[in-house]
Amino acid sequence: MSIKLFELLLQASIYTVTISVVSILIGFAIAILLSGMLLSGRSLFVRPAQIFISFFRGVPLLVQLLLIYNLLPVIGINVPSVVAAIIGLSLCTAAYQAENLRGGFASVPLGLVESAEMVGLTPRQVFRRIKVPIALRLTFPALVNEAILILKASSLVSVVGIVELTRMAQDLAGSTFLPLQIFASAGLIYLMINWLVALAGGMIENRLPGVPR
Amino acid sequence: MKKNSLLKGLVGAVFLFGATISAHAADTLAAVKAAGTLKVGTETAFAPFDFIDAGEHVGLNVDLFNEIGKELGVKIEWVTLPWDGVFPALEAGKFDVVAGPATITKKRMERYRFTPPLAEATIAILKKAGDKTINKPEDIAGKKIGVGKATAQLDQLKEFSETLPTKVDIREYPAFTESYADLAAGRIAGVANSLPNIAFVAKQREGTFEVVLPPFGKKSYFGFIGLKDADHAPLMDAIDAAMLKIKADGRMATLQKKWFGASFDTPDSVKDPAF
Repeated sequence: MSIKLFELLLQASIYTVTISVVSILIGFAIAILLSGMLLSGRSLFVRPAQIFISFFRGVPLLVQLLLIYNLLPVIGINVPSVVAAIIGLSLCTAAYQAENLRGGFASVPLGLVESAEMVGLTPRQVFRRIKVPIALRLTFPALVNEAILILKASSLVSVVGIVELTRMAQDLAGSTFLPLQIFASAGLIYLMINWLVALAGGMIENRLPGVPR
Repeated sequence: MKKNSLLKGLVGAVFLFGATISAHAADTLAAVKAAGTLKVGTETAFAPFDFIDAGEHVGLNVDLFNEIGKELGVKIEWVTLPWDGVFPALEAGKFDVVAGPATITKKRMERYRFTPPLAEATIAILKKAGDKTINKPEDIAGKKIGVGKATAQLDQLKEFSETLPTKVDIREYPAFTESYADLAAGRIAGVANSLPNIAFVAKQREGTFEVVLPPFGKKSYFGFIGLKDADHAPLMDAIDAAMLKIKADGRMATLQKKWFGASFDTPDSVKDPAF
């Protein structure tokens, strides 16, 4: 396999990384909102968040992408491929991340919260200084995991017309008849990207405020 | 129960809203000219019409649409999708016309409008070079033959299969390139596709593939596809006129020679396709 083909795969992986990173960040913002709604305890907020999460966790991502790409124009919103891909991935990952965050907050030891209240911290301070750092620390490994899952799931966005790493590999394998070399290279690129994500995740995790054991 | 009715209401609202919006859609030719770009949907796995050559999108379609673009005074913007996603996306308005091209069939003509044909689409078999077991189309009886999913070639192959003593073991692929790869790997005995396509593949990979002649079944043609409604009529009329002009002044024949190695006669329009 020539260097040129490998370069093409690397170029296509820029789409994979960009779309995944943007989606994970947007998804995280939506997830914060959703987990806030879930933790609010008011059914006015909890119910819509639950419906959102069960929809985006329950419907395969492939179907979501096709729905967003082909159904949004029916209501007059004709989005370009890249936007459709980012909307699909963001909403899907938001549902998973929201559940992770909710789980994180639910796992903050009650004893710690009570002790904080005992020493006179206001509810706001308890939230900011106790709950958020601990929940984030507890959720972080799951978030890194989710980022890796989205990077791999981004191979699906070719159905809405984006030539990302997997699609480029298929195109090149089809025109060069070198499927083994090309898919092996694509696999290697995915592995490298996700290894970097895991590495960065590990480094950030070490710097997070620790959880008392 | 409550969730159910909420969902129903939501879906209803979406469709109602959609209906009112589409009622306001404008003349697409004017819209394309105003935007300065004609959006063309296609898959990039149908050599020599549309394929990726070392990362670059090339083929007869690319050259032909560049000429059509010149005639209309617009630029061409490509949207590439898997083939079975192309038609839903066309109807959703993701692009103005589909390059494909697609075999002109009765069933498709009921729903879509075809441009004048740009090539013959009659089906033939591609086999591995040196395979002595397939010497004529009938020899594929009982063998594993690959074909593209949701293609007219699939229908043609099925019809042919019915005429054989043992039915063909038909394997459907999302894209033809994958079936060629499987043929090269020996997982299937042949690929059924239109003669221009397989002739090109065989020429590209001499020593790997061979064409089984003659082509079989009824004569059919390839055309580009657009929507049939009144909004799209001016655009499709303009594309038709551009293509006929390109055909009349010999540019079409030059492009056919470039990509198929030979030019061939096609009718100006297909009114009553064989399939």
